[in-house]
Amino acid sequence: MDHSKQIQEIASRLFAENKIDYFVGYRQNSFDDTQVPFLITDPAEIPKLVFTERSVFNLSNYLKPDHTKRKRVGLVVKGCDSRALNLMLTESQVKRENVYIIGICCEGVLNEKGEKAQNCVECVMPDPVVYDEILGTASGKREYIVNADIKELAQKALTERADYFENIFENCIRCNACRHSCPLCYCAKCCIDQETSTLYHGANTSSAGMHALMTWSLHLAGRCVDCRNCEKACPSHLPLHLLHKQNEMVIYENFQQHLAGMEKDDRGAFYKYSLSDPDDFIL
Amino acid sequence: MNLIFETDKAGLQKFYEEIIAKFETYAPVEKFEKFDYKRVSKLEECNPDSPIPSTMSVKPLFFPKTAKVMKFQEDSSGTTVSETDEDPLAGKRVILGVKHCDARGLQVLDEVYKWDYIDTDYKKRRENTIILSTRCDKAGTQCFCTSLDYDVENSDAHDVRIVNGLDGKIYIQSVTEKGENFLKENSSQQSVVGSQQSVEEIKKHYKSFESSFRLKMNYKEVNEKLQKLFDSPEFDPVSSNCISCNTCAFICPTCHCFKISDEKIKDTGVRYKSYDSCNNGYFTLMAGGHNPRPAKYRRWRQRAMHKFVYYKERFGVNLCVGCGHCAISCPVNISIFDVVNQVAK
Repeated sequence: MDHSKQIQEIASRLFAENKIDYFVGYRQNSFDDTQVPFLITDPAEIPKLVFTERSVFNLSNYLKPDHTKRKRVGLVVKGCDSRALNLMLTESQVKRENVYIIGICCEGVLNEKGEKAQNCVECVMPDPVVYDEILGTASGKREYIVNADIKELAQKALTERADYFENIFENCIRCNACRHSCPLCYCAKCCIDQETSTLYHGANTSSAGMHALMTWSLHLAGRCVDCRNCEKACPSHLPLHLLHKQNEMVIYENFQQHLAGMEKDDRGAFYKYSLSDPDDFIL
Repeated sequence: MNLIFETDKAGLQKFYEEIIAKFETYAPVEKFEKFDYKRVSKLEECNPDSPIPSTMSVKPLFFPKTAKVMKFQEDSSGTTVSETDEDPLAGKRVILGVKHCDARGLQVLDEVYKWDYIDTDYKKRRENTIILSTRCDKAGTQCFCTSLDYDVENSDAHDVRIVNGLDGKIYIQSVTEKGENFLKENSSQQSVVGSQQSVEEIKKHYKSFESSFRLKMNYKEVNEKLQKLFDSPEFDPVSSNCISCNTCAFICPTCHCFKISDEKIKDTGVRYKSYDSCNNGYFTLMAGGHNPRPAKYRRWRQRAMHKFVYYKERFGVNLCVGCGHCAISCPVNISIFDVVNQVAK
């Protein structure tokens, strides 16, 4: 899966036609084979652009106002990234005419150890769902599978599960890298950043840390696209997907097999209502 | 001459076991393939020679992630403020496996903690702690401690230093007076006292250690150039892909900014002090709504200049110690080494 050449060509064309102010792609790190996001305004930097199975970061994150505010952006997206972008478009965070989307039919990216990443093994949509140009061969939607670790966790008693997560979150340093790396966390003032609130104050007590991460995951329930940017960003290597995948499973089972960002104008599980919705899990 | 013992792997293990049995000991403990300093009661629980890229800094043991500052209680007569019941450190403690850069980080932090207001909790923790070094043989991909303004070989940041000799022996050497006394009392298992030859061997080790660095820079030149580069346009491109999270500051061994937050339930509450980061957009946000550092490049400029210029000007030591923790943990691999070198090019 090497689309570096094609992406470079498209980027040069877009700059030449004056269609974009910014291009967001990936660049090779100088010291090993990993890659980092690369924002360019100068066409002279185009030869540095690459795309391989090492291009892991979800670039939709750079459409937040902090990075490319009111600019026309050319962007490279994989399947999961495009689902996040789809949600950002629906939630009016980005104007469609301001982004030129290069969609990649993804064959799965590699993790730090060089194996196929776990979310790519479980991926339901490797092809881009929104794009202006598509690269690679589309392989179509796949069956939704729930990994064994999530099933096992869901079967644990409530207190046991609480202890399990408390043990995990003990190593959290509350740097909030998970939130900052999430393309769907764009609130101007996040509720877990309130210094004065009782539950989410900045201190890293076990109650505040746990509440913050739990609330964060609930705000992403029915919206998380499983790109695992948060997990890759976490300096303590916490398995944050356990929170999101559990929510995803519950929503898939109870909200008409809903998966976030798969369709245009889909506003997420909690915005849809149908008389046939099951309600036995509420209270 | 400082006290030196010659030993081997088994001897070192016995040395560690003796310490763990006697003292409150902290050492790198693995969780999710990442090492963090925690209290240990057995040697098997920890790895004093944890690899460099996956070990967090030792800072939280002196400047905790979260510390109680005070308690308060409201009643009809007003608010009463009281001391917390937390004791910063009762007895003596020992930390195993501290890297050169981490130990130097503490020395750098000392400057700010003894300046102006003296932080008594920090001081107490520093005074009651014995720091043993790890066996750094080879530099990690992001390490550059040898390129900065301190001498790794002759530094007195550790109390006791443990060195892998190129001849296959392991040397345990006291560096400070505190370390010498500690070694005298806690080396009942060690019999071979080192000689002048051991000193030579330690020197040889540091020579080979120094040659293993990928990153090298001319510190003096970078520092001098940066002093005049506050308005450099280069800060913008180097920080363009920063996602403004707080990771670099929270895991940095020398970042010391903190914020205050209150946890209040009904009429009683606790005031906490926890980490803060200048890379966060809220950091300089004022009550009136004005933010002097709204853009990412301004925040990165502050970070780079504080690390390489301001602290040096004020305290005479460089704030960055070259551990590379920030570059390893950064979600988008921004390295402060690259930033300062790019700007001061």
